[in-house]
Formats: sequence, C-alpha cells, structure tokens
Amino acid sequence: MTIEKRRNATADKNAPTQAPNVPAVERGAGPKLPGPPGVPGTERFRLLAYVKQESLVRVDKRPDETLLTWPHLLRAEFLAALLMGVVLVVASVTIRAPLEEMANAGVTPHVAKAPWYFLGLQELISYFNATVAGAFLPIIYLVGLALVPYIDRSPYKAARDRKTMWVFFMCLMVGGLLITIIGSFFRGPGWNWVWPWDGIFFTL
Amino acid sequence: MSQLPTYGEVPGRPIGEMSRRGFMRRMLGVGVAILSVEFLAGTVNFLWPNVRSGLGGRLTIGTPAEIIANDPAWATGTPFAFNRARLFFLNVPAAKGLVDGSGASVTDPGEEVLALYRKCPHLGCQIPPLCDQSKWFECLCHGSKYTILGEKRAGPAPRGMDSFAVEVVEGAYVVDTSRIVGGPPEGTVTFDPRDTAAIPHCAG
Amino acid sequence: MTFPGPGDLVRVVKESALWRSLFRQPYPTTSRTRALAVMNNVFLHLHPVRVKKHAVRYTYTFCLGGLSFFLFLVLTVTGVYLMFFYVPSVTRAYQDILSIENSVAFGSFVRNMHRWGAHLMVLTVFLHMIRVFYHGAYKPPREFNWVIGVVLLFSTLWLSFTGYLLPWDQIAFWAITVGSQMATYAPLLSDESSFLLLGGVLVDQGTLIRFYVMHVIAFPLIAAILMVVHFWRIRKDGGISGPV
Repeated sequence: MTIEKRRNATADKNAPTQAPNVPAVERGAGPKLPGPPGVPGTERFRLLAYVKQESLVRVDKRPDETLLTWPHLLRAEFLAALLMGVVLVVASVTIRAPLEEMANAGVTPHVAKAPWYFLGLQELISYFNATVAGAFLPIIYLVGLALVPYIDRSPYKAARDRKTMWVFFMCLMVGGLLITIIGSFFRGPGWNWVWPWDGIFFTL
Repeated sequence: MSQLPTYGEVPGRPIGEMSRRGFMRRMLGVGVAILSVEFLAGTVNFLWPNVRSGLGGRLTIGTPAEIIANDPAWATGTPFAFNRARLFFLNVPAAKGLVDGSGASVTDPGEEVLALYRKCPHLGCQIPPLCDQSKWFECLCHGSKYTILGEKRAGPAPRGMDSFAVEVVEGAYVVDTSRIVGGPPEGTVTFDPRDTAAIPHCAG
Repeated sequence: MTFPGPGDLVRVVKESALWRSLFRQPYPTTSRTRALAVMNNVFLHLHPVRVKKHAVRYTYTFCLGGLSFFLFLVLTVTGVYLMFFYVPSVTRAYQDILSIENSVAFGSFVRNMHRWGAHLMVLTVFLHMIRVFYHGAYKPPREFNWVIGVVLLFSTLWLSFTGYLLPWDQIAFWAITVGSQMATYAPLLSDESSFLLLGGVLVDQGTLIRFYVMHVIAFPLIAAILMVVHFWRIRKDGGISGPV
C-alpha cells in the first residue's frame, strides 16, 4: 500500500460527500461499505490499517518467512542460556576468584594494573602524552562509536558492501585487542616489557 | 531495500512565526530545561565530597627540632615521610648535600623546605622512599623516576612530583593539603643533572 | 473400588479455579494457543508472536545480546545474594569477603559466579557490538538503538569497574587508584573529576561507599531502563535486522 492511497483515505474521511461518479477504485482498496441505497457506484471505503512494507507483519505474507516464537525462538534462547549457565557453574566451581591481602595505601605493589578492559588504555598512556591517550582517545572512541550510524550513511548492510567501514572498524577492534593483550601479558614490574614465559603479571 | 527509509516531513511553521500556544509551549520547555540544569547542578553539589579530616585540611608537621628528634637523618638530607599527609618533607639544603656528596648537616632550613606529595603524577601509585643507589625517587608501578627535588628524569609521568604549600607558623611547619602545586614540567633541570643510564636504579 | 492415582491429583489441580486463573489456557500446542501464549504473557511479550527465520539461527546472532541479558540477570541474583553478607566499610569489607569465601554456605561459589559472570558480560557485550556492526544492523531505522547500545556498553564497563573495588584487597585498591587517575588527565575537569569520583583525594572510605552505591543500585537501574528501551526498539523496528 502506498502513501498516495493513505492520502486518498484521509481525504475521504474529511469530505464524506464525494461526487457520485468518481470510480471507487481511485479512492483506494479496502473492504466495501454500503453506500447510499439505490445509488450504484457510490460505495464508500474506510482505511482500516496502514501497514508499512518493511514491518514484520507483511501484507503479502509468504508462509515460509517466519517461525512461531513459541517454540522456536524460546527454545533457541533457552538452550543458549542453559549452555552459558553450565559454563558459569563449571567456571565458578573450578576457578577461584582472585583475592589478595587487604588493601593498604602504604604498600605499593610492583605491578599496578587497571582492570583488563582498561589495560589497552593504560598501555596507550605509556606511549603518548597522557592527556591525549588518557582523556581524548577514550572520549573520541566512545563518541565515535555512538556516531557510527550517522557517519556510515551508505544504504548497504552487508559487510562485503561497505568494506572501508568494516576494515576501519576491525582495525580499531583488533588494534584495541592487541594493545590490551600487550598491556595484560607483556608488562611486568615498572611497566617494563616481560615475555609471558618469564612471568605473567595479570589478575582478572 | 536499496533505498533508505524516509522519516517524513518535519512539521512546523516557517521560522520567525510563532503562535501564542507555540510560545507558551516553548516557554514551558525552557522552564523544564532550566529545572533540569538546576537539578543536575544540585546533584553534583550534593554529591561533592565532604572531606573533614586527613588529606585536604591543614596539618602541622612540627618544628625542625621535632622532626630531627623523630628522624635524625632529616638533618643530613634524608626525606622525612610524613604519612598523615602522604608526603615527603625535604630539608632542601641538606638534601642537595646528600646527593652531591658534601654531606652537609642542616638543623634549621628555614623556608628552604619542600613537601613532595607521594602520589605519583603518572597513575597515582605511592612513591616509595628515596632509592639508595640513585638518590632518586623511583615509582615501582610504572618506573617513573624523579630527583630528590621531585623533577622528572625518566619514565611515563607527565611532570615532576606534585607538592603542597608549606608555611611556618610559630616555628612549626604547617602544610596545607588542600592546595596541591603541580610538579615542575618535564625538562626542568635545576639540580642533579645526572644521566638516567649512567646510574644504578631501584626500579627497572 | 479404585483408589485415586497421581493422575487424578493432577486433574484436580488443573481443574481448580486457582490453576485456571493463573494459566488462562492449556499448554500451547496449536499455532493459535502458541501465539496467545506469547501475546498474553508480559515477559514473553518481549518477543513478537512470529519471528523471521534467520533470527533463530545461532550462526547469525550467536545469541550474544540475549546472553548479555542473561548474564545481567545472573549478576543481579548473585549480587543480591552477596549483598546480604557485605558491608561497604574499609574496616569490614575485606573481612566480609573472607567470611563469604570461607564460612558462608556456597559463598565462594556465588562470589566466583559473580566475578566470572561480570567478566563474561563485558566480553559478550563487546562481541554483540561487533556482530551488530558486521551485519550493518545499525542502519535506519535502527540508528538510535545503536547509540543506546553504546551507552549500555559504557554502563557495563562502569558496573564492572565499580564492582572491582568492593573486595577492598590490594588488586582492587591499586586497580582503582590507577584506573581513576586516568580521569585526572581530562583537560577541563582534571582533578575535580577524580575528586568527585573518588569522594576525596585518595581511594578511601568515601570511594568505597560511592562505588558501592553506583554498583548495586544506580547503574543497574540505569542499565535496566536502557535495556527496556533497547529491547522495545528492536521489537518496534521489526525484530532483529535481516541478512542482505
């Protein structure tokens, strides 16, 4: 259904007395309501619903496009949650959460690391001017991420149709991953380079 | 799906025209906006830390005689660790003597003192006592190194060690811990120009 | 004479007014009752009655968004459990963690689950973002939902960061000291932002109570509200985006 027809329908509502000789087809399709008795060709139409074509409930619904949420989607979700639950339980039974001695402001550890997701940032701070690495980069990173849909205005969805954007994004992600791994496993006392086989200075 | 969905026209009058109702609505919006800003400012104000004790107030370290009674090495230049304010209190003339080897003993340095904040300006670790080998302050966390006067010589820190303002009140040193003086910028060399690579260090 | 068996008990229960007022229809077995089951249940109504075929495929979504939500629920439950034994005070917090570890039944298990769940959630949220980017699922009309997603990512990181301090051990103390010092590098606010964040100049009692409040109520609430909007918008934009 097009917008053109919706306008017709609105016009129909606003002006109930239509010229009797206007063909019914031009005023949109829909269930026929009886017009004034005895005057053929004056059936009136009412727009019951305006369905956008890209929405889920399709007007020209093809039977093989959708599945019932119950049971198909719910089963998939349940199984995923179950698997994650098993992973969590096994991890919680076998691996102990780290706990060191009580916090003491007077005892500086040889290795002071932020939580793992900030270690990339901490690694950056050791390269660049701290204001740039510690403040501007994370702000630009978060704001840039939030603005992605307004930067990438190409009408294509699939990654293969917008290679530049995908490569750029993956460079950022892989770069972030590498630098986080370096900060996590390759830095020891004094933030000096340490190979992982010489000692791992990392707590989750 | 090759074209972007449109969001329709933006309804409204031409710019410059405003109805009475539109004006009232806009004023209501402005009122709500002002209220929100006030609420936000009030929240920040409410949440502003209410520091009553410890760091943040004025703390008395004592007279030179009291400090020497506490730690005799202060007269020969060893920094006095005043833990209540997390600072190193320096007898500057004696400290210079300690580094250049003249070993001068100064029992009353007068105004020539320095209260160096032990929080490393890099990432906030606590700076340990003076390193015996190098006669420098060396942060173990990330390897920043400072001379005995807090000037930065090596490592990732953005500037020298911060310090507090010190006054002499009735012969006793009083440190105002609410006023942190930013450390000297990188490249400041007023004393102890030894090369980093030429001397042994405590931190890597 | 026959004695009533278990089947009769089930029948009696199922025919009772209480049961029938609780479940207004029998177990859904037909398309009609299955549709009604989803439509009439407030929790299931999160989903539409029918979904596109690809939405069910694991290799399309890897269920990452759903798993993030599941982990959020797990963290809420385990977090509430832990709150019964934890006092956010610098003198007590560490002792409370020790007693949770050593003398509370299943205490160690619950704490482990809370910690590993939190790390996993950071991971699944990140992977979910990459998946959504790969499929271009932020294209119109879903642009703003992506923005909400980025705020949710930030909330997740922030929840994890505030929780990191609570055990009040050396790892926690120095990680937060180092992490929050990064905030002082911000050009305009610098020391003020860290002062407000830490509730003082140093990581201390003021920091612990601030992080505790943000961790157990403020940010879970914000995240939950944002999640409601996030899910609602997915539903209104016609379910998850399709492959092209």
